[in-house]
Amino acid sequence: MEHENSRQKKSLAERLTSPAGYWSLAATGVVLLVVMMAWLLRNCMSEPLLSIERSDRIELTPVQIQSIRDIGQWEFLSVTDEELVDTVRKGLFRDDHLVRIYYGTMRLGIDLAKVSEGWITTSGDSVVLTLPPVGLLDERFIDEARTQSFHESGRWSARDREALYQKARRQMLAHGLTPQNLRSAEDNADAQFRRLLRSMGFEQVIIRFGRE
Amino acid sequence: MGRRILFSLLLSCALLQVSCSGCDGGESKGAQPTDTLPLLVTQIQKCSRLYTTEVRLHKIVTYDDVVRVRGRLFAKDYAMKLPLGDRKVAIPMDATLKAYIDFSNFSEQNVSRMGDRLTVTLPDPKVVLTDTKIDQDGVREFVGLTRSHFSDRELTLFEQQGRESIIQSIPQMDIIERARASAARQLVPIFTQMGFREENVTIVFRKDLNVNDLRRLLEN
Repeated sequence: MEHENSRQKKSLAERLTSPAGYWSLAATGVVLLVVMMAWLLRNCMSEPLLSIERSDRIELTPVQIQSIRDIGQWEFLSVTDEELVDTVRKGLFRDDHLVRIYYGTMRLGIDLAKVSEGWITTSGDSVVLTLPPVGLLDERFIDEARTQSFHESGRWSARDREALYQKARRQMLAHGLTPQNLRSAEDNADAQFRRLLRSMGFEQVIIRFGRE
Repeated sequence: MGRRILFSLLLSCALLQVSCSGCDGGESKGAQPTDTLPLLVTQIQKCSRLYTTEVRLHKIVTYDDVVRVRGRLFAKDYAMKLPLGDRKVAIPMDATLKAYIDFSNFSEQNVSRMGDRLTVTLPDPKVVLTDTKIDQDGVREFVGLTRSHFSDRELTLFEQQGRESIIQSIPQMDIIERARASAARQLVPIFTQMGFREENVTIVFRKDLNVNDLRRLLEN
């Protein structure tokens, strides 16, 4: 009987150390692991076990008013422009690109701060107006914060972006501040002032523009 | 032998590529940038606007991007900030607002003359954002080792949000009232030069504006 038991124990040990025994042990381990995981998941399903969270938030400081001033600028023509501007950096194997779309509005008109003494003279129902030359009212006319990024490859510095802004400005000036547009603004100024003065009761209106 | 030479050549090319990629992060040293691609969409509009008040504004937009590992284990919450995983950027910007009186529809109906007395009724002042400028030199970025740099698209999106915030804050500024007073200061001397006495000139504006009216008068 004892001999029979020791033979059975030996055969169990032999079975466990055999390749089939190793596989059985591994399968049992996997099953136990799966059961454990299932138990863990069941207990932790209310919250994910692991999640990566990005707290990406924009903070805006209060708007600071730097200055308020009275101006007297009369606009007679507005030229709204958008420019697709790009810059390329040549590389040995690939080129880097930065392409942006800039928006701006050039305002053409007269600055009343530039009128000379006695620029309005009246006589009965006649009035003579001598206006300063029509020109660009603002040197800064690009709405840079409205800029859209169209394409970027490679890394670009603040200096590159500033250069692109200046490039967009030059392009806008070339397209907007043309002799034709200045002439059109002057014609409209003439028409608008004539209408204004007639509505004030002046029948004879003479308007002259100064020259740069 | 031939294989060794070929291998050395390939390795040199790979090293060159890596070194050139490393140059990208610099301040555009080396090759000079060139510009191409002209395109324009232009809209020309005749108008008659008297700008009477100019307001210059300054604003800083900040963005903080922190990565955390968060979870729950054995009924216990845990959250851990990833080391070297922060990204921050601060973008200073300037903006200019202008208030104007639109004279496009000005006519005899806006003028009333009774003897030597003149009353001019002006339309509502309006406010427009005439320019914004990013202080590119003042932009500050802090990027952790494990994070990528801010892309141009991200930066422009932050700037657009800053612009929107400026527009939203206009009604809180007293710009319309200021524009009214300034318009009177600009126009009365013109009328006095036409022969009217200053005390006989009256500039009239529409009724007092409420906040809803102010929002309607913003043109951006």
